[in-house]
Amino acid sequence: MKNSMLLLGSLLLLFIAGCDKKNTDLVMPLKPGDFPQVIKFSDEVGGELENTDEFSIALTLIDRVDPSGEEPGGTIVPLTEDVRVNFTISDVNGIAAVDSYIKGGKALYEIDDCTSSEDEGIDLDFQFDPVTGIGSVVFPEEVEEIELVFEVDETYLDDAELNEEERSIEFNLLSVDAASENVVVNTGMVFTYEVLDDEGVDGAWDLDPENPEQFAAFKNLFGLVNEDIANLDAADIEKIEIEFELEEIKVVVELKETELIDECGEQEEVNIEIELELEIEELTRLLAEGEIEAIGELEQEDGSLLEYTVKGNFWIEGNQLQLELENELEDETVSAILRLTR
Amino acid sequence: MKKAGILSFLLFLTSLIWAQPSNEYVLLKGVVDDAQNKSKLGGASIQIRGANNGTIADLNGAFTLYSLPGQIQLEISYLGYRDTLLQLNLEPGSIRTLQIHLTSSTPELNSVVISGYLQGQAKALNQQKNADNIKNIISSDQIGRFPDPNAAEALQRVPGVNIERDQGEGRYVLVRGLAPQFTNININGEQIPSPEADVRFVALDAIPSDQLASIEVSKTLSPDMDGDAVGGSVNLITRMAQSKTPHISGSLAGGYNTLMQKPNWQGQLQFDQRFGKKEKLGLLINSNYYLNQLGSDNWEQAPNDNELELRDYELTRTRAGLSGTVDYRFNNRHEVYVRGIYSRFTDREWRRRYVFIPEDDEIEKLTKDRFESQSITAINIGGKHKFTGFYLNYEGQYSRGIQNTPYDHEAAFIAGLPSSFSAANGKFPILSADGFTNSSNYEFDEVSYGGSYAKDQNITGKFEIGIPYKTGSSNGILKFGAKARFKQKSYTITSDIYGTDAELPTADAFDEDPIKSEFLKGRFDMGRPIQMGLFNRFFNANPGLFELDVESKSIDEALESFDATENVYAGFIMSRHQFSKLTFTVGLRFEHTDVQYDSKDVIIDAQGDLEAIRPVSGTSSYSFLLPQIQAKYELSRYTNLRASIASSYARPNFGEIIPAQEINREDRVANLGNPALKPTSALNLDLMLEHYFGNVGIASAGIFYKKLDDFIYRRVIFNGTYPLTGTPIVPRIDIIQAQNGNTANLVGLEFAFQRKLDFLPGFFSKLNLYTNYTYTHSRATIQSREADETKPDATEKFRLPGQATHVGNLALAYENKKLVVRLAANFNGEYLTEVGGNASEDLYIKSRMQLDFNASYAINNRFRFFAEALNLTNQPFESYYGSKAVMAQREFYRWWMRFGVKFDLGLSK
Repeated sequence: MKNSMLLLGSLLLLFIAGCDKKNTDLVMPLKPGDFPQVIKFSDEVGGELENTDEFSIALTLIDRVDPSGEEPGGTIVPLTEDVRVNFTISDVNGIAAVDSYIKGGKALYEIDDCTSSEDEGIDLDFQFDPVTGIGSVVFPEEVEEIELVFEVDETYLDDAELNEEERSIEFNLLSVDAASENVVVNTGMVFTYEVLDDEGVDGAWDLDPENPEQFAAFKNLFGLVNEDIANLDAADIEKIEIEFELEEIKVVVELKETELIDECGEQEEVNIEIELELEIEELTRLLAEGEIEAIGELEQEDGSLLEYTVKGNFWIEGNQLQLELENELEDETVSAILRLTR
Repeated sequence: MKKAGILSFLLFLTSLIWAQPSNEYVLLKGVVDDAQNKSKLGGASIQIRGANNGTIADLNGAFTLYSLPGQIQLEISYLGYRDTLLQLNLEPGSIRTLQIHLTSSTPELNSVVISGYLQGQAKALNQQKNADNIKNIISSDQIGRFPDPNAAEALQRVPGVNIERDQGEGRYVLVRGLAPQFTNININGEQIPSPEADVRFVALDAIPSDQLASIEVSKTLSPDMDGDAVGGSVNLITRMAQSKTPHISGSLAGGYNTLMQKPNWQGQLQFDQRFGKKEKLGLLINSNYYLNQLGSDNWEQAPNDNELELRDYELTRTRAGLSGTVDYRFNNRHEVYVRGIYSRFTDREWRRRYVFIPEDDEIEKLTKDRFESQSITAINIGGKHKFTGFYLNYEGQYSRGIQNTPYDHEAAFIAGLPSSFSAANGKFPILSADGFTNSSNYEFDEVSYGGSYAKDQNITGKFEIGIPYKTGSSNGILKFGAKARFKQKSYTITSDIYGTDAELPTADAFDEDPIKSEFLKGRFDMGRPIQMGLFNRFFNANPGLFELDVESKSIDEALESFDATENVYAGFIMSRHQFSKLTFTVGLRFEHTDVQYDSKDVIIDAQGDLEAIRPVSGTSSYSFLLPQIQAKYELSRYTNLRASIASSYARPNFGEIIPAQEINREDRVANLGNPALKPTSALNLDLMLEHYFGNVGIASAGIFYKKLDDFIYRRVIFNGTYPLTGTPIVPRIDIIQAQNGNTANLVGLEFAFQRKLDFLPGFFSKLNLYTNYTYTHSRATIQSREADETKPDATEKFRLPGQATHVGNLALAYENKKLVVRLAANFNGEYLTEVGGNASEDLYIKSRMQLDFNASYAINNRFRFFAEALNLTNQPFESYYGSKAVMAQREFYRWWMRFGVKFDLGLSK
């Protein structure tokens, strides 16, 4: 009997040895439930023309799994307490004295489409020292995103030359002070504010609709992807503008025809606009000539999107911009030379 | 009409249950064993001379036979033993218990030194010879003849069986040219659930062969077997206590893997004994553990994407098993039993790889760390009761399969480096990629943290009643029974993929020393791989740098997860009737299945964003009436001619029927489950001639044909609407769905030869040859891959996935009283494994021949040393797309070995 028990014990030991899984060098990651709230810059880049009087940076919370399950693509779960976010300027390029450029700032958030926290007199205790580049702001509870607005000297960088050197300011988040909220900041993300040179391609350019050749070229180029543009009559047009922003090209046709719109409870008469937005894939900056490539999307009847590509070259001479472009939509390609003025 | 048919059939069964058995019969009951070493002779033939009445002893040598009273001559025969004739005078209504001891005609059979080998073979061949259906049996002793650590590898030696491997080890079985879902897997006669999520078939590498008393592969079905098997039915039988002598046996071995240069070890211990004066109580407990540290060197390419991967695998695998049987024999007529088995397979895998993408001038560097366990539990509780006019067997089973992946981590880094490669020579790619081994070139891309849990549970109850009868000069047994099985299957996954907007350290901050001294024999330098543990520490310390892709998580988790129930109700009636040398087994089986599923639809909007996740449910039910006829004609004492006509079917995989749907409006493609998918039905014809050798051996030849209706294939409905019925929500969308509708045919030839070559002189007379060969050919019709909107009904013919034209084994052994040396070759022909979008994308597994060696030496009747070496010729696993000129993958394992000692302390001296 004793031997049988010993044997039985041996059997069990052998089996238990089998259950002992070896998890050598295993480090389990944080579970999503333990994962902290993360505050980060909403974008990696932003840019304004050199004569701007302000630029802004948005701070946001990252998406989390919606606890209610209503938003399967994720949702921002706001903080349950106010926290203070500390940030700094981490790098400056082409700007001699940041404290001469940045004059101050403020922070605000949107309450609804027509009201901001500033309108309601809510102070987010924005603090920023242009000399050290260090600042902080309160990220309040129950808010998804806040905006830091930096007031700048609009004349400091506004020269009359096409600068060869890039001018930019980089910001980093440093830390967050919270009483009990499990929240961190993304310290590895950099927000780069780029100063756009208005002696280069950036900014708005006008095309003369009264010039039949230019108007026909414009209609040919963008009429391929927009029926309204294809059917335009020059007599109906107030203005045609092509604007180069940091990441986007906007083509705006302003009609003489107007409409009444409701702007936060106030009726306003505005010109009707036809607008195309193209995402910049490639654009030569800081040179008077270069290459352009941008992608636009065309919404089809069933809601799906069809991409078209506008690409070509540009030349700047004085206040004139010449664009030699091709527009490619599926198997069809059209080309045109556009001459615009500032 | 269908319901009326079911009702009539159940009423018929009920009437049979209440039928009164005859009291005229005498119940003969007994055990057949070896006169010298008392080992039980399972498969022995017990015949009443001149009465066309007989039976076969079960695995434990026990038999039950109903006879008319009076003077009879009972003839007992067993391959390798002298026939025995008993004169008996039977009183009406009495029960007669017999202990029959046979004497060997082959000296080696009662040699206590090597009895295990030849007696195992004898036992298997006797069961095979005397079985009513066409089956192959491998006894545990036979399994020990080959170096096969798991049930799948043991099965590769059986004629007509091909196996799919994972990391060089056998995993799934393919019987007679049909994919794994066409074969059902049983433990102790009852189907076991699959631990894997969306399939029914079982990965047999989870079951250690040391746990098994024998494995049966039934290639034709009888009505008392589950009807959902087309290729065959595999039954894994656990062990039972045999005698009152305490029996302690086991093994201990260690080995070495030449690729990883790491050791492996295994141990097994078994205790069994029957207790009490009349040995009423039997107890057996068996435990084993196996640990293997293995790996592989792999390259693979995706020609359509012009991508090349170098993969370096490192694995730690364990198999642990615990099985036991308690049986109690109240008396000669009544016994009950509990049999249980628990097996657990674990697999820790590190996969370190590079992906070369010349089109994008990118190279990815990744490391994966994954742990997976598969466990199978089965508990059978049943009883066997013999009455003078009938017998009753019943059993309940609880079984459960679980696959748990608690972590599946992969960190991916990416470098903007140009590369180019050519794999045109089919052997090894020629790669040009400057700087790819330098970890500092790689920036963080993403890290995925996944996991999953799949559970499949069966609760089964069944009974069968047998009533002897006599018509004229022939005898028979009428059997009927019923069964119900309730299955619950579920699958949940976790899929967390984190990206970053931050500037993270490059891969050199997380790398480590190479694991192997060389990769693909030094053809490629794999640099310093990423260490997952180091990266995870960084992740935990800096969570703010990472962002979860919530949308991907929601999509992946919704698409994969499901809950399903499947209830099966079955009944059968059959007769086994013996006309002189002809035995007929004829009957009908009825099976009705109700299925219900819950899962989720995922809808991606036209702009590629997640639009909605909606819960969906589906149900279906189907019934089969399966007529089955088997005939066995004894051409001579050692020669049988067998024929069979049987209907059967194969249920669809869960992954094909769960109503989960992915509707991608951006790509205009929808992948839909099909709850209305019907099982594949089959008509199976078999003819087999087999001749047994008195010195324990067999030569057999057979032909089989299978006609499959409602063959399941992946169909594309071009420009369809979603949903397929009702009000369309999404127009003009290509719908991919598994559907029925086509026919497939499969024909095969099967040959086997095994015997001791004792007709040769001297040394050669000690040689033993084991060989088999199976040829199969199939043709299935599917919707043409060239079909489009203009010709949606175009069809094409192709061979069935899993069907290898040539499959075979050749093993030559030298065996004397103490020494056994064996060289065994296993050949798997090439076969189609994945049907691609066109013929050039069809993925084939290339033919492979593995050469294994084993030897053992018995130092006495208790201890035997053994040594095994596998994959001696370093055969790679290879696959190709469309033609052999376009290799998809080559994976090398080198060879591995182990040696140890086996002991058996319960043998009589």
